[in-house]
Amino acid sequence: MTAFIIRRVLQAVLVLILTSMIVFVGVYAIGDPLEILLAPDASMVERAQVSASLGLDKPMPVQYWQFLVNALHGDFGRSFVYNRPAISVIFERLPATLELTITALTMSLVIGLPLGLWAGTRPKTLVDESIMTGSIFGFSLPHFWQGMMLIMIFAVWLGWLPSTGRGEIGTVFGVRTSFGSWDGVRHMILPAINLSLGQTALMIRLTRTGVQETMPLDFVKYARARGLSERRILFVHVMKTILIPIVTIIGIEFGSLVAFAVVTETIFAWPGVGKLIIDSIGVLDRPVVVAYILVIVTLFIAINLVVDVLYSFLDPRIRSRAR
Amino acid sequence: MRILKYAALAALLATTAAPALAVDLTIGRSSEQSSMDPQFSRTGNNQMTAEMIFGRMVQFDENLQVHPGLAESWVNIDPLTWEIHLRAGVTFQDGTPFTADDVIFSIDRTDKVPNSPAPFTDTVAAIANIERVDDLTLRVTTHNPAPSLMEDIGRVFIISKQASEGMTSDDFNSGKATIGTGPYRFINWAPGEALELERYDGYWGEQPEFKDVEIRFISNDAARVAALLSGAVDLIDAVPPDDISRLQDNPAINVVSVPSGRVIYLGLSMRMDQAPGVTDLQGNPLAVNPFRDAKVRKAISLMIDRELIVDRILGGSGVAAGQIGAPGLGGHAADLGPDMQDLAMAKQLLTEAGYPDGFGITVVSSNDRFPGDADLAQALGQMLARGGLKVTGVEALPYNVYSKAATAGDYGAFVFSLGASTPSTAPLLQSLLHTYDADAGKGAFNRVRFSYPAFDEALAQAAQQFDPETRNRMLEDVTKMVAAETPIVPLYWQKVHWAMKAGLTIAGGLSEDTRPQDVESVK
Repeated sequence: MTAFIIRRVLQAVLVLILTSMIVFVGVYAIGDPLEILLAPDASMVERAQVSASLGLDKPMPVQYWQFLVNALHGDFGRSFVYNRPAISVIFERLPATLELTITALTMSLVIGLPLGLWAGTRPKTLVDESIMTGSIFGFSLPHFWQGMMLIMIFAVWLGWLPSTGRGEIGTVFGVRTSFGSWDGVRHMILPAINLSLGQTALMIRLTRTGVQETMPLDFVKYARARGLSERRILFVHVMKTILIPIVTIIGIEFGSLVAFAVVTETIFAWPGVGKLIIDSIGVLDRPVVVAYILVIVTLFIAINLVVDVLYSFLDPRIRSRAR
Repeated sequence: MRILKYAALAALLATTAAPALAVDLTIGRSSEQSSMDPQFSRTGNNQMTAEMIFGRMVQFDENLQVHPGLAESWVNIDPLTWEIHLRAGVTFQDGTPFTADDVIFSIDRTDKVPNSPAPFTDTVAAIANIERVDDLTLRVTTHNPAPSLMEDIGRVFIISKQASEGMTSDDFNSGKATIGTGPYRFINWAPGEALELERYDGYWGEQPEFKDVEIRFISNDAARVAALLSGAVDLIDAVPPDDISRLQDNPAINVVSVPSGRVIYLGLSMRMDQAPGVTDLQGNPLAVNPFRDAKVRKAISLMIDRELIVDRILGGSGVAAGQIGAPGLGGHAADLGPDMQDLAMAKQLLTEAGYPDGFGITVVSSNDRFPGDADLAQALGQMLARGGLKVTGVEALPYNVYSKAATAGDYGAFVFSLGASTPSTAPLLQSLLHTYDADAGKGAFNRVRFSYPAFDEALAQAAQQFDPETRNRMLEDVTKMVAAETPIVPLYWQKVHWAMKAGLTIAGGLSEDTRPQDVESVK
């Protein structure tokens, strides 16, 4: 297990360096931040001043080298736009995104798993057909349009729920969170639903397929023959088997949700990192873009590591192989 | 039973829909400032926010014309020396009095903010020396005669020396140093979300109507409109033109539209011997760059139906333009109208220039910079094709890619915009049309590399006039003189829209600012 983790960490460092290089060159190639950052009537004196103070007057390899050296010292550069360390700009907004993502993921599990089990155990019935048809909507309706519809229905027509921002943020056990106040929770509802709809559909389909594949297997028959209750068979034995693909998907999806919550965050004016990164790409704020991509890559690597470790707990065969 | 439960839940949600804090005015704004330090960046978003909290020596009205602000009056003792008398009885929001020391401190700091992406260097570049005569009097000497001195140093936001000395931009973001003389006090800024302000009761000018103000940053157009319709915000800016007619039909909504100072134009590059994307009818390079011939430029201008563009592509959100400076700016030539579409005349000019059958042209534009920019390129392509050119392509690119290439001269025919932030057209003319001269710092945005020495000379003379009326009259003449050459093809001035709850109104102007002090109830 230790050798496995060390190998993984070395791989991760290599991936991070390569990513930083690709992103750096990519953002450099897109355009010139000065064109966007400067005041529209800036003189050439101002242009030269900014170019020098942001280090944009040096050749690109020199800029990258300086970035690498600083990064090794834990300094990922200062945002051109905010003049604050890029990492702290990102981490300041990460909690909002994480909170939204975790809520959405939890919702998709709480709703998706039972529905998938229900549909899976009653194949070809009305229940199954309705759940599966419903899940098609979850998949196929564009995220953006869903969000706008949620706002139209619940905020504009019915006026039940707020549609922009995070509302009042309360404190629970010393952590600033939307769950600290009723107002915060109400602000969370619509974006969380928007973000979770696609995931819920995915969960339903994954669970249903898993149940349908597992139910005819021999061990289920033996379990029935031993006289175990249908409930115990489903929730303990079948569940354990179908959980492996679900854990994999949750891992991958969690990463994607954090990285790509941008549509939801933009529609609901949620002050998270997704919105930050889109804005930063728009104004070519290179330090923030590079630092963000590195944070996300690190996140994906960490999640995959956790998923691999979780497998070994869920499946004894993997555990014995790892040993 | 279950229905009852849902109804109860809905009722609970509905009763708590009112915001927890009593806010008198909530504004949904499309763009956010990058810092609360008023001297950090000279871009529009930052200045707009700074104007709520900080005062300046002069105030700019809706036509960007100069009025006394923290400076009550100013006189030229000689062409290089100015005496500025400051307003008495003004206090900062922490109660300390405003004096000449604060002005000197602010002017000294404004071009030295570390890592500023858009510094105020130009605004104080003319100053050779600034000294304090007494608490409320300053004497400024300039390097050269500088008639626009007050317009320039008047843009500098005045911060409190006592509260801000030694402070960084971070201290402004936290509110520690955010002490100004403006109509609103800083309460809190949650980046990416909202800015909270409270009226400053000791403000020297007219008191704004709304006390507690929250400005929410909602960058998505559709979401901003939805926030207004749902009542989450009272007023939104940058209303997308597509939604205007729908909102105008809504009795609960009031829409305010004003022309802005931003001109949208078609640039025809005279920079290189071969204009990129311009070919003969077979697709081969032309012997000379046709855009170097003023007749060709005029012909292209005559092919364009500006009214049709404004009407069909922008849904009326524009004013056809025949020059760069918008109406209201000093130096706008009122008798210089837009070119009307005249295909026969265009054809004749092309023939005279030696292109009776036209030539091949590619039109390029951004696709995310201003409303309808990609559609505009399409329409221009069609109009030029009808006018007798062979349009070989229409390209629309994201602004972050497009801006660099346009400035580097990669495009032959390209759509660009230029916003106004000064009282007169002189700076616009100088950066867009003056002969490109990197050493003298002139013609910074002359991407087409137009050059007309007589115009440069006349513009320099106009800019040296101390009397604003003489200067504006000379600028009008200069504008008409250069228009005969069609240096660029002006298309239209953008209109900007605000939408708000019925019963509110906003005094919007050329600067496109959305400030709470400009909002009031309709009596």
